[in-house]
Amino acid sequence: MIEKISESVLDKVSVDFLRDQVLKNAYGNDDTPIAALDPRVLLLWYLFFGIVPWFLNDVIVLLGFFILTVVTTRVARVAPLVLFVFALGIFSQTGYTFIVSLFFEGDLDTLLSLLVLTLKVATCSLASITVFSGLDPDRLSNGLLWFGVPERLSFSIAFAYRVLPILMEELQNILLSYRLRGRAPAHDTLAGKVRWLIYQVRIVIQSFYPLMLNTAKRSRTTVEALELKGYRYASTNLKVLKIKLSSLHAGRREAVFVAISVAWVVLCFVVSKIVGL
Amino acid sequence: MSVTRGSYTQSQKLMTFVLSMSLYGLATLISELIPSVQVGIVEFSVEFFLFIPLAIAMLFDPLSAALGAATGELVFSEIMLGQFGGIGELEKFLTVTIALYVAGTLVKDPRNMKAVALVSFGCTALQLAMSAGVDICKVAFAVEEFEAVPGLPESVYFTEGFAFANDLLFSGILFCMLPTMFLVPRLYGKIEPLLGMKPRTPENAPAAPSAGLVIAAVACFAVAVAVACFSEAGFSLIEWEAEWAESETAIFTGIVVSAVVALVAAFWAHRNAQLRSA
Repeated sequence: MIEKISESVLDKVSVDFLRDQVLKNAYGNDDTPIAALDPRVLLLWYLFFGIVPWFLNDVIVLLGFFILTVVTTRVARVAPLVLFVFALGIFSQTGYTFIVSLFFEGDLDTLLSLLVLTLKVATCSLASITVFSGLDPDRLSNGLLWFGVPERLSFSIAFAYRVLPILMEELQNILLSYRLRGRAPAHDTLAGKVRWLIYQVRIVIQSFYPLMLNTAKRSRTTVEALELKGYRYASTNLKVLKIKLSSLHAGRREAVFVAISVAWVVLCFVVSKIVGL
Repeated sequence: MSVTRGSYTQSQKLMTFVLSMSLYGLATLISELIPSVQVGIVEFSVEFFLFIPLAIAMLFDPLSAALGAATGELVFSEIMLGQFGGIGELEKFLTVTIALYVAGTLVKDPRNMKAVALVSFGCTALQLAMSAGVDICKVAFAVEEFEAVPGLPESVYFTEGFAFANDLLFSGILFCMLPTMFLVPRLYGKIEPLLGMKPRTPENAPAAPSAGLVIAAVACFAVAVAVACFSEAGFSLIEWEAEWAESETAIFTGIVVSAVVALVAAFWAHRNAQLRSA
């Protein structure tokens, strides 16, 4: 039974699955209300929810912020893998710290202060998931470009989403061809298991050798194509930026989004005042 | 191509940047999904794939390779997976960049295996030492009267030192030195023509970092430490604000909020006008 479960889990967590999830995350949710918003407004929104929670220690306000970011993450329809990695990170960190603190005479107070810390971390992470996963990468990089972020960073974001599926497929093909040609050591005994692990790590490291050569060729092609389009001069030229960024438009929808967020934040503070903790 | 020291054209630098970014980004994305191995209280927080940008930095322009690797990690494993931690990421970005850049400039001839082995080990040591230093600073600033808490300084120094030694032995040798020694001689002379460059020799090796650059790097690092400490320690700001009279807090908060809103609006208008007049 357990063998079956672990088999089906291992089946799911393949390179193909990862690739699909990343692609789905990047391009699969263009039609959500979050994705339709202006990236500049969303980035400012993220700055608020990424910084302000760190200055607050009020559990009710933090809880309110957390609920809001949970709702926006839900609305943005983020891929399950991203949420899984997020949950794993949050719970492993907090749970581990709590267990350790129990050894040092921790009690419910410790749990409460840990809860505050967890809420802060979770709010920031969820806000970043909403903005960075909910947005189309091209719109995201346009938004960053508008704020005057170095061109290389916004280029990297747009490029990363496009090149990642190709790179993953290539890595998988190389790994598989190594596996086909090699013979994994038997892993029944403990010594065999160690040998098997070393063998797997060695294969991964070795397969980066052909991958590096292939990627070198690909990056040359990419850069030459960019040069043909005058990338290096275009990125600093205001006229080009004007044309490139003319698609950005903040209007009524953005105003409604900001108004709801502000109203919710004010409500959180009011409630915490009334309850008076 | 001329054989002057460290002569790389802009497009070659960009190629190195793209190469290092996409490869290291892919690798960190994978290692982010591998659960970290924990034995007792010791966590093997290994930079499993540091050997990739290290090999690239030893063969090509070190600064582009270092910046590319740090950007790749930021974009692929932080932003794409939604793990972006805000200003705290600055510290990691800078430690990785500085360590890789220093390592890349120190190797004058990639065929010299002794230098490659020593430098790749030293690179991990440098990176780990910088992060351990930042962690110690964080605790020292975050906890008020650090020395007054009995046993805390010793325990922090001990755990940080232990993690440092453990990571260095484990990841420094197994995952950094050996793979780099495997990759660099194999790639040497093969990968450079693909990017249209000459292999690195002692004659055309990039110059050692200039004094100005070192000072800039140290200054950047100091800023990163300050930011990291601030992001850990500065959060009692509102608390001591609340000790004031109630109305004053409200006025203070109001002033801060309106100042921030005004600043954002001004920047927005300025940028719009700038783009419109272009």
